[in-house]
Amino acid sequence: MLDIRDLTVGFGGDALVIADVDLSVEAGQRLLVCGAAGSGKSTLLNVVAGIIPGLVAAPAFAGSVMFRGRPMAELARDELFSAIASLAQNAEDQLWDLNVEDLIAFPLENRGVAKAAIRDRLQALLTEMELGALRGRRVLTLSGGERRMVAIAAALAAPPDLLVLDEPTTGLDPAARRRLVRLIERLAGQVPALVVSEQDPAALETVADRVALLSKGRLSEVRPAADLMPLRAPWIEAGILPPRRQSVPRKGFPTGGSLLAVDRIRTELRRADGRAVLEDVGFELKAGETVGLIGRNGAGKTTLFQSILGLSKIREGSISIAGEKADGWTPARRARQIAYLPQNMRRILFNMTLTEEVAFAMTAKTGTPDADVAGRARDMLSGYGLGALSEANPFSLSARQQALLGLACAEAAAVRVAILDEPLLARDIEGRRMLDRFLDAMLSAGNAVMLISHDLELIDDVASRTLILEDGRIAFDGATRNGWTSRAFRELGWPAPYADGRGEAA
Amino acid sequence: MRALYDLNFFVKLACAFLVMLAAWLVPGWVYGLPLSILMVLFLWVARTPGFRAYLKGAVLLTLLVVASWSVNLLIQGMPVLEAVQVALGMAARLVTTTAAFFFVMETSSPGSILAACSALRLPPIVTLVLSLTFGMIPMLREDFERIADAQRARGMEIDAVSFPTRLRFALARGVPLLVQAIRTAHAISLSLSIYGFDLKRKRTTWRNVGLLVEPRFPLSKDEKR
Repeated sequence: MLDIRDLTVGFGGDALVIADVDLSVEAGQRLLVCGAAGSGKSTLLNVVAGIIPGLVAAPAFAGSVMFRGRPMAELARDELFSAIASLAQNAEDQLWDLNVEDLIAFPLENRGVAKAAIRDRLQALLTEMELGALRGRRVLTLSGGERRMVAIAAALAAPPDLLVLDEPTTGLDPAARRRLVRLIERLAGQVPALVVSEQDPAALETVADRVALLSKGRLSEVRPAADLMPLRAPWIEAGILPPRRQSVPRKGFPTGGSLLAVDRIRTELRRADGRAVLEDVGFELKAGETVGLIGRNGAGKTTLFQSILGLSKIREGSISIAGEKADGWTPARRARQIAYLPQNMRRILFNMTLTEEVAFAMTAKTGTPDADVAGRARDMLSGYGLGALSEANPFSLSARQQALLGLACAEAAAVRVAILDEPLLARDIEGRRMLDRFLDAMLSAGNAVMLISHDLELIDDVASRTLILEDGRIAFDGATRNGWTSRAFRELGWPAPYADGRGEAA
Repeated sequence: MRALYDLNFFVKLACAFLVMLAAWLVPGWVYGLPLSILMVLFLWVARTPGFRAYLKGAVLLTLLVVASWSVNLLIQGMPVLEAVQVALGMAARLVTTTAAFFFVMETSSPGSILAACSALRLPPIVTLVLSLTFGMIPMLREDFERIADAQRARGMEIDAVSFPTRLRFALARGVPLLVQAIRTAHAISLSLSIYGFDLKRKRTTWRNVGLLVEPRFPLSKDEKR
């Protein structure tokens, strides 16, 4: 069905993103492409999906890409995108301000399908993917995981011959991930071939029959998934945390006084059924702690940090920061003590160079830059591997580089608490090293970190304590190890991390 | 109020044109001012999204128009009372017009505009232009607010500062807003291509479209078509 030979892709500069890649995908195959962040996965999948070079030009592009025996470049755009459906790594890159139903029906409406047939398909997809509760909502107001599921539904609206999914489980809670896996399994009869990329091979282990590892733009031979999954060496060589890895708990730090106390807050923001998004939330964060926060997609995690920062109004309760009542503080004053790093860092960048971003973080408390601030900012950037990009525009960075910039800014700001929302860079070995560096810097200085993530293995590895947010309340607050056997966790219906016994203490 | 939001985009647009015509045809401030007040009251009663932001803009617009027109007419030798009345009449016309189109813009999602256009079997280029023109402005306004929240979340004090400083910080949002607008344009362009939008082919819609545009898909096994 798809045959790629000697593919080379570059976007300017000396380094090629993809070099000499050969890849064949036959009908009936489900290929998983794994690689660390920056290994070239998205570029390769964009070529497979016909987006590069059809819609996005690459200055250096060579090799042949054949689809159903014809050069892909010769296919009419409509023919190509009717046969190949894709989901971008950052789903926002292919979404706009449509309602959920509009986006799912969009490919069918554009192709002039009759209303009755579109409605039948909507009915089937909304039911099958359990998206009924999202009907009528604007896509851009959904949580990251919800958006991704809706974008996948849109890709499936007109069943394609080849489905290309770039890191589809990103931002999905474990239940949504299982729904996605079930859906892909069911699709076997409708969608002849699947190419999917992931940093975390375990997430889609059951749906892939073949795996190829991508490292620095070079693709390994395609191997049966069952052969590759139990091994360690090939994954580590590719810079990826092995699927059968063992839990490696981090060293603990002595705990100190309270840095953040959330006392029984109730938000003004309400759900569609009229209930407050956060009904009665209380917890404390102490110096030296790394606390994990988990909860379903749409549980109110985003609203929680927005309330802490004063960006979302609270109706009842109070917030104290470093022992002081912060209820009357402006969001900016709170933010000078609490750094928030969203999953999509683009949302909080607004300076023109990386150095300016870090310098802004360093001087936010005083408001007065000193003579050496640019030098110190560059040193901080070098610590996170961004030294060579110090004068680049932050918006030109990859998602991974932006995440690293976020860590550099948070460390530079000398805040007491950092809130990390789904730090995706922690899914590969180098990214985990950078996260460890950040945690060490924060905790050794007597600060605290809150980690919001659906990656339960990551929570298990780094969090000493875990909170479970459910129904607008903290349903569990205790040691992470106890969390996985708690009633609140059982009610989520998620599998516990390392539950298959592959990795008790290393 | 929900039914007002769900009115067919073209019905809303026609009503806005009629209101605009009335605003510009009524003689002087005696009729113009009550009409503009009525229109602003309508926005409030209809709980139009972004009403407070509109009100701030309308107050600023009124002050600027009244001041500039009054000064201009006084220089031309018009008596003070008459000059102020003419200026008030002009400000009222502008407030009525902007309020009418603000309602259309804030209550018409790109999806509902697409549906209204597709139901009329309009050419795809018209569909696209109308959806983007009326749909993008609220989206950019939200982006502007999101960038302000980002500045706050990074510790930039933009609330407890003087008006000139606040204005300076607001202007500083221009660059990220431009970047965001370009990204949005790219996302829309990509979305149109991969989801099969074709200028040569007329679209259909999943929605039932009449005087009202169906806002939500009725999920049930016995759905009526």
